[in-house]
Amino acid sequence: MQRPAGKRTYDMTTPAPSEAAVRARADLLTALVLVALGLAVLYLSWTMDRLEVRRIHPSTIPGLVPLVLGAALSLCGALLAWRSWRLATPGSGAALLRVLLSWTALRVAVVLALALVFTLGLVGRMPFWLAAGLFIFAFILLFETVLADEPRPFLVSLFWALAIAVAGGGGIYYVFGRIFLVRLP
Amino acid sequence: MFDGLILLGQGIVHFLTPTGLFNVAWATLLGLAIGILPGLTATMGVALLVTLTYKMPPDQAILTLMCVYLGAIYGGSRTAILLNIPGPPANAAATLDGHPLARQGKAGLAMGLATTSSTLGTLVGIFFLAIIAPVLSEAALRFGSYEFFWLALFGVVISGQMTGSDTPLKGYIAGILGLLVAMIGMETLHAHQRFTFGIPALGGGIDLIPAMVGAFGLAEILSSMKRTAVAHIAPVNDRVIPTFSEIFRYWKTIIRSGIIGTFVGIIPGVGEDVGSWSSYAAAKRASKHPEEFGKGSQEGLIAAETGDNAVVSAAMIPTLTLALPGSAAAAVLIAAMLIHGIRPGPMLMVENPAFLYQVVAMLLLATFANLVFGLSLTRLFIKVLSVPRERLMAVIYVLCVVGSFAITQRMFDVYVMLVFGVVGFILREMKYPMAPLVLGIVLGDLLDLNLRRGLQLTNGDPTPFFTRPISAVICLIIVVVVLMSIPAVSKRVRSLLTRSGGAQARS
Repeated sequence: MQRPAGKRTYDMTTPAPSEAAVRARADLLTALVLVALGLAVLYLSWTMDRLEVRRIHPSTIPGLVPLVLGAALSLCGALLAWRSWRLATPGSGAALLRVLLSWTALRVAVVLALALVFTLGLVGRMPFWLAAGLFIFAFILLFETVLADEPRPFLVSLFWALAIAVAGGGGIYYVFGRIFLVRLP
Repeated sequence: MFDGLILLGQGIVHFLTPTGLFNVAWATLLGLAIGILPGLTATMGVALLVTLTYKMPPDQAILTLMCVYLGAIYGGSRTAILLNIPGPPANAAATLDGHPLARQGKAGLAMGLATTSSTLGTLVGIFFLAIIAPVLSEAALRFGSYEFFWLALFGVVISGQMTGSDTPLKGYIAGILGLLVAMIGMETLHAHQRFTFGIPALGGGIDLIPAMVGAFGLAEILSSMKRTAVAHIAPVNDRVIPTFSEIFRYWKTIIRSGIIGTFVGIIPGVGEDVGSWSSYAAAKRASKHPEEFGKGSQEGLIAAETGDNAVVSAAMIPTLTLALPGSAAAAVLIAAMLIHGIRPGPMLMVENPAFLYQVVAMLLLATFANLVFGLSLTRLFIKVLSVPRERLMAVIYVLCVVGSFAITQRMFDVYVMLVFGVVGFILREMKYPMAPLVLGIVLGDLLDLNLRRGLQLTNGDPTPFFTRPISAVICLIIVVVVLMSIPAVSKRVRSLLTRSGGAQARS
């Protein structure tokens, strides 16, 4: 679905800006990041070693394609910034902030935090099956009780979390490590 | 002609061993389960399973991956019909008519129609794969650096244009980001290390598999856990196996959707979802009852499911003959083939002609397995559908860690997976398509190497890029595609094209 550029997509009487307007504001922010990234790539490719010592043809320097890509990324980022600037409406910045501080954002943050603790903290410091079991147990318990919209009885969740943690951690260890002979972290 | 048939026969017989059939059975069932479970996609399934097939013989490994791919694309139609949310995005068009049919108490019929039309779609795709691939492969032998440079660029640009959801700009940005990722590490022409910032692990570049496991595994877990709504499963009370007349009444739609799906599949990086939506739209335009579309039209469901499954087989055409992935999952398949020592590309038909027909045989076997399981194991699949995602996603994440670690056995790849997961999730939330990103990563090296090699051959003169006939045609297509994605230009062109039609309508 392509929205015509520059057209206000929501009704002025509605109190909260539409999802499209919020996204336009978020797009503006990412577009600026992309422009910065593009310029950084441009600078790094321009200053990249041109291997003059090895007398390669100047049109085959290693920085050629990254240079073009950096320029293209900056251009696309700038166009996107311009487009989102026209689509964004007053109040959409605050609405974006509300999205970032919402319940769903918290759920995502918790998943991410658990994943980071598991990957960076647990893996490698203990046997893999134990690390996997701990992660699965914490994940299921948190999302079925504290973070659930309709929490299940605590004991039921505890039982399932334990069962899946043991079966999952042990099962993955057994299937990958023993049957398919894959090295585990 | 007959050589092809003989090779195909040999290909089928090659897999009709107990091991082969066993692999088809479990991989298809696993693929179906992946497709049915909301939040798990075909690409994710294939990427995670590469690890498991690592120690298998090459042909069995690719057979397993292909069965998972096809099974997942087909299995998603179940979720679309019963839950009104697509399994993989490929089945989004199937929700429009599949779920209304289920609400009318025709869930069984809807599933039966989806199953048979998936099979027919795959068969149409396979037909074209067997015909087009050898011809294209022979033509591709004449391609030089110039043509391959344009083909790589064409892949990224067209994928960006066709998958960018609210603006093609986002598709292009995703493509450029993918190409930039491919620039990291040692380049192949002068063996110079680019963008490694003194980190030795970056010297070898970013591997595709960990990147894909992140962008399709972790990112999917994050977006699936974000949703709070719990959907309701529609009950199934009627028969599942459709009658011949229920299907073949719509033979025109089936053939049309199959051809559209094939065409979409051949275009690099434009995957099943585009195939399914375009054949749905075409069926609606051609239908005698367009008003029923979206309210439980059997024709609409058939069109959507034929379209997306035809893409799977057709995506193998550019994948095998040009090494340009026809879809995101096909990109993973290319990586898997390379791991197993099979080199897709124009030389495949010279080095290993039997392999192409083995792929055709794999698709045939996988389709057949889908048909059998799809029509018989309805109850089991409904059980799978009701697995709570809280309990599933934790296990999937552990698999993501295993999958990204196992191939080269370094923790660096796990960190790559984490980074791609987070960045992939943010890009997805901002409606950036993933296919051009993947295509960029796969094609970056091809694009870079062939551009500079071409320039080296001519001592820096770029004219052959524009004067060789095939190069000129691809270049022209790219320019037109980019120009048409600029709103001001496309509006003007459209108004020029429709002016005469509009004037007639008014008079």
